[in-house]
Amino acid sequence: MPKLNIPPPHGGELVYRVIEKRDYAESMAAGAIEFDLKPTTLPDGTPIRHVYREIMSVCYGFFSPVEGSMTSADLEGVLKERRLENGWVFPYPILLDVSDEDLKAMDVKEGDRLLLKLKGQPFAVMDVEEIYKINPEEVATRTFGTPEDNPEVVREPFNEKHPGYMIYKMMNSNVIAGKWTIINPPKFREPYDRFWLPPAECRTVIKYVKKWRTCIAHQTRNVPHTGHEALMKNAAYTGDIEPCHGILVNAIIGAKRRGDYPNEAILEGHEAVNKYGYIKPSRHMVTFTLWDMRYGNPIESLLHGIIRQNMGCTHHMFGRDHAAVGEYYDKYATQILWSKGIPSFGFEAPPNEVEKGLKIIPQNMAEFWYCPVCGEIAYSENCGHVDKKQKFSGSFLRGMVAEGVMPPKVVMRPEVYKAIVKWWKVFNYPFVNKKYLENLNANLEVDLEPMEIPKA
Amino acid sequence: MVHYIGVILDESRYEQIKGTPIEEKVQSIFGGALKMLVVEVPEDKSEQILKAFDRARIDSRGFIEDVPVAFRRAVFEEIVKNKSLDIIDKVLERLPEIQELAKKEDEYIPPPEIE
Repeated sequence: MPKLNIPPPHGGELVYRVIEKRDYAESMAAGAIEFDLKPTTLPDGTPIRHVYREIMSVCYGFFSPVEGSMTSADLEGVLKERRLENGWVFPYPILLDVSDEDLKAMDVKEGDRLLLKLKGQPFAVMDVEEIYKINPEEVATRTFGTPEDNPEVVREPFNEKHPGYMIYKMMNSNVIAGKWTIINPPKFREPYDRFWLPPAECRTVIKYVKKWRTCIAHQTRNVPHTGHEALMKNAAYTGDIEPCHGILVNAIIGAKRRGDYPNEAILEGHEAVNKYGYIKPSRHMVTFTLWDMRYGNPIESLLHGIIRQNMGCTHHMFGRDHAAVGEYYDKYATQILWSKGIPSFGFEAPPNEVEKGLKIIPQNMAEFWYCPVCGEIAYSENCGHVDKKQKFSGSFLRGMVAEGVMPPKVVMRPEVYKAIVKWWKVFNYPFVNKKYLENLNANLEVDLEPMEIPKA
Repeated sequence: MVHYIGVILDESRYEQIKGTPIEEKVQSIFGGALKMLVVEVPEDKSEQILKAFDRARIDSRGFIEDVPVAFRRAVFEEIVKNKSLDIIDKVLERLPEIQELAKKEDEYIPPPEIE
């Protein structure tokens, strides 16, 4: 087997649309039509998405080769076969949606330049390529699939209980398409600032600081229990002539479903894994991507593959029920996609074997459980004591945490639990609730410096 | 299909069932690191529970999870009171009271004091 190296960015070139120089930034924004970015909310007002996270992830290259809000041709390609108009694989609609009232008030047309404001400050500009209408419910349905159209993996029709479906369903029906450029780079607050590593910098750190030739990505939206730790350690035994040199934990940070852990606890919980030596920091690094999770199992796994390939990973581990909620998809939908493809979603072969597909190598893993006979955390494909298995259940652990019971260290490292309690004390609640989401939406993960834009 | 509710026993809870017929039903999990009682719930009753609490779900082990702390406490209280694991009807009788307590939990759960 030949030795592997960091793969090229998805699409061939890393997108980087960020202007740091104030005078260039101001001249780009001069005379542009102003628009204050707004969250997407549930009917009861709960914020479930903020498009600023998508603008950040696009402009810093996490979503390369996407450069902005999609045109109608891109959107149709994504919904039909998970391809952009230029043929590159991309799974999700990325859209700047606006209400009828806002569209009327802006009086914007194709060819105009928009100044997108965040927290009252200039944030990004976009050149309007197209303005078009969508049916949000149709976009939501086609994004995730249906049991009739995607019988290989979709088990139940998506509905109001699915957080990702609701993100698309609650969008406004007008889309403004065009490339985004950040002109006032936001500053991350603690603890996010410690973990912010955009793809260009991440590739440099992997290559020249960590000196990892191979690196496996770990997707997370959770604080780690020892089952996650076992997944990371064991999946990393793949590689080429030796196990992967590094493990890149990349947390998805944004609005999450109620009952998940707060973003801050997720990041510091994973940090505790390397800080306290459960996996050496020389081999383990924690980072994040801004994205309001869509919980789309196989569809989400495509985005994860793209993000982590852009960050410089050679491999990506995929477990059971990857990025899933409920019973909408087959529990192994992601692994079906990455082992043989899902034709109804546009993949006659796995995403890393199709034209203009991904270069990252999947590592599909089954389950880890505690086996009282083996007396250790066992891999389901090794352990023969299936009837004795004691499964790691995230919801079982959440129940224990909520009751104030410190999980035993065989299930969760004490330092990880302390990270949960630290943020529990800050928010008066151990999990995401409506108040947390409202607070997150009001403050976001960033602050912006004041910026004066000269008149045209 | 039968579902389950797991009741974690810390030291103080264990003291409350010690010496009762319940003690021999305690299961030791994760290499003896945790003690737990398992209450069986018939399917029609588990449906009532899922309907009563919007985030409640059956996990991959067949356990009813993501229920309010107030519900878990009520399950344990009924076990102690009745010295039996056959208590799910008694808990369901208390649903309105538990739902009221659960509403407050959406806003605040007191954090534990740890070093």
